[in-house]
Order: sequence, then structure tokens, then C-alpha cells
Amino acid sequence: MAGTIVADTIQDGAGNSTAMDNAIYGSAKAWANFTNSGSSITVRASYNVSSFTFTNAYTFIMNFTNALSDANYVVLGNTGNSGGSTTTGSIGTCTPSNSSFSNKTTTSVTLETVAFNNSNPAYFDNNVVIFR
Amino acid sequence: MTQVIIHTNSNGGVSVTVPTGEISVQAVLEKDCPAGAIIVDDSTLPQGADAQFFDAWELSGSTVTVNFEKAKAIKLAQFNSKAVEEAQKRQLNTLAGLENTPDDATWSASLTAGRTAIANATTTAELVAI
Repeated sequence: MAGTIVADTIQDGAGNSTAMDNAIYGSAKAWANFTNSGSSITVRASYNVSSFTFTNAYTFIMNFTNALSDANYVVLGNTGNSGGSTTTGSIGTCTPSNSSFSNKTTTSVTLETVAFNNSNPAYFDNNVVIFR
Repeated sequence: MTQVIIHTNSNGGVSVTVPTGEISVQAVLEKDCPAGAIIVDDSTLPQGADAQFFDAWELSGSTVTVNFEKAKAIKLAQFNSKAVEEAQKRQLNTLAGLENTPDDATWSASLTAGRTAIANATTTAELVAI
């Protein structure tokens, strides 16, 4: 059913309320929990993510199902492994070295996993959240 | 069996697009992939040791193969990167008056042996084992 509710505040049955801005700007616009193995990806759960595109063993594009309003969004990410300290690392945005386009667009964001020892870019537990 | 979408990227390698299931594979093909990308079953992609050399994959028609010379170059770069890391650690050990195990001569010989093994490898499984 289509429709629009216009309100400045929302409130629950216990009387707790918040400004509508908090619901609009404080909720994630996209997120995903996934594994990357270096040549494939397994998505456990996601929201507003249509696909991931691997461009090399540790760089991949997260494509949004519905475009965001602009590219000034926040990307939060962390990554973890089950293999011990030598495989700890991070996940974040990156700009492809051979490209002139931004790593953040309204339809996708380019992400990269980086191991702290630069040896193992595949991670068991990747988490990315987009806020706008 | 999972369907994925593949295409040759600007580096001459293969890009693999994995749908999350929020929309159909066909819709992902049209929305997220360039013209010429094709839908394949992921079981047709290189498996096992070949899968560990994703950056050496090449696409011909609808078939993805591993460029073995690229795979050897990737393995050599990884091997040398670890050698540099170990060399730094050994240098710090020396400065701290700590013993390096194995000794420098033995370690140096192992590097030579590893590089020779990479040069002489004939399969990706051999490369992975080094």
C-alpha cells in the first residue's frame, strides 16, 4: 500500500518520542555482512545492496539496490577473521588507482580489505554500514 | 548452484559480480554490470588452487581460465613481500641481540629454493604449496 505519513515526531506506547529527523537521518541506508574469500563473496545478510563486484582479490564494489540521495554518505566498516592475529585487518573505501571516478557514488561504493601484515586480504566476517 | 555475472575489466582481468538476492540476477546484470557481461554458474569458475589466483583470471567467451605466468608473478610478489617482512624482523632481532632462527645462511638458502620452485612450478597447486 502506497502512502505518506507526515509528522515531526514519532512516539511509542510508553510515551518515548524522538524527532522524525532521527528516524530519517539516523537509520542505516544500506548495510551488509559478508565473507570474501579472495575470489568469491558470500553475503549472509544485507539491506539495500543488490550485488558485490570483485575487481581484484581484495577490492570490490558494493552496489546499492536503490540509489542514495547523494554521495556524501558515511561508510563504516570492520572486518575480522577466525585465523588469529596475523590475519587481522580493516575494510574501508578506496579509489581505484587506474580510475578517475570517485570511490563513492549514489549507486555504489568501492571497498578494500587490507591486512595489517599485507599478506591476507580475505576475511571471514566483513561488516559495512552506510549512513546518510 | 549460484549464478554470478562476469566480464573483462579494464585491467584485462575478470570482474565477478555476486547478487545478494534482493533483486533478480537479470536485474543486477542490467543495473550493476557493463554491456557484454554474462551470467554464469559459479561452479564454472576456477576452483581449488586456481581460485586463489583471482588476479590472474582471464575471460575468453564464457570460459574463465588462469593465466599461469600471471599466477607465478603473483606468487613471486607474495613470496618477496614475506621475505622483506622477515628480513625486517631479523634485522630488529640482530639489533636487539636476539638469535635468528634459522640462521641467516639457512634462511637465505630457503629464499633461493622458494624462488626456484616458483620459477619451475607447472601448476597452481604447486604454487600454493610453496
